[in-house]
Amino acid sequence: MSDDPKPAADDKAAETAAPPQKLDDKLMHAKVYAPFKVYFDDMAQSVSAVNDTGPFDILPRHHHFMTLLNPGDVVIRTAEGEQRITINRGVMHVKANQVIVFLDV
Amino acid sequence: MRRPSEIEHEEHSMATLVELTSVFEGIASMRIAQTKNQVMQATKFFNDLWGIYSQIRVDSLFRFGRSQEEDAVADKELYIIITAEGGFSGDIDQKLIHLMLETYNKDNNEIIVIGHHGAVQLAQRGISFKKYFKLPNKDQNINVAPIIKEVQLYKNTTVFYQEYVSLMTQDVKKISLSTAVQQQGARSERKEDIISEANYIFEPSTFAVVGHLERSMMQIAISQLILDSKLAQYASRFRAMSASHQRSEEAKADLHLQYNRARRGIKDERLKEIINGLRKSRGVTL
Repeated sequence: MSDDPKPAADDKAAETAAPPQKLDDKLMHAKVYAPFKVYFDDMAQSVSAVNDTGPFDILPRHHHFMTLLNPGDVVIRTAEGEQRITINRGVMHVKANQVIVFLDV
Repeated sequence: MRRPSEIEHEEHSMATLVELTSVFEGIASMRIAQTKNQVMQATKFFNDLWGIYSQIRVDSLFRFGRSQEEDAVADKELYIIITAEGGFSGDIDQKLIHLMLETYNKDNNEIIVIGHHGAVQLAQRGISFKKYFKLPNKDQNINVAPIIKEVQLYKNTTVFYQEYVSLMTQDVKKISLSTAVQQQGARSERKEDIISEANYIFEPSTFAVVGHLERSMMQIAISQLILDSKLAQYASRFRAMSASHQRSEEAKADLHLQYNRARRGIKDERLKEIINGLRKSRGVTL
């Protein structure tokens, strides 16, 4: 997978499934959590991680995407700075400007 | 008649037992509150994950996270029995083993025991089991990967576990593992948005993601059943300790009564001797 964000193939579908709060083009909602702990749950500018293909970035309006994450860091960039979460394994789900990372699964 | 010092000694021992059972009761009560919280948190996480898995349209069959090639699978049913680690859990383990033995057939079933108490109980009954796992002490991030490996070797798996109904009521139950996963998922209320290769990018592949999700959900389902069983065991222990506490308090009160009677008996005896002595010295005869 390339480092460039993938544009949404179906903008109309993405718009209809958008989360209730109004998001601008530079932000998306990100949640990183494990069964017993929430590590991040807020608006973000980008989320970076590593999968079998290599390092990749998720930017707002990314195409629907599901991947298994490799051990490493998940980096979340926000207006305030960046947060780095070291993970063992996880599953990432990207849909309608929302990124969910399930850890320890 | 027993000597008061003997009774007093026994009363002290009983007082220690009263304190101990009270402490165990308190610990069990605290663990119940903690574990209930863990169960709720893990259920929320599972529901989110299930919400995604159930939207994926690749295969209608739950394959226990096995590869699509269907590796060699034993034509037997695996029984997993989740029991307590120690013996302070009332009679709930015996009930669970009894439930398992109702359907157990050594030619068709293999047993994996979780918890030392269950392993001892089965050994005493002369029933052999394939593997024994220690019941995890911690309530979070339970590593159930070795159990999942075993599960994938069998056609089907049934889990025998203990269910917390209320503080004073615990039940023993059995559930097929694939049903357990689906039941957990059935509790989640998610809208149906289809996830398929037509509208999603999967990496490394669709089947790899689905297989991984199935394994993950089995892990969470087994962890949940272990947590449920621990919760029931804590409640059973609480119940047993409450009953012991009550009995030991009654026994202590009874001993105290016996002690007072014994002391009074001695005093009465001495008083009688003094009165008799006085009467004799004054020349009074009865």
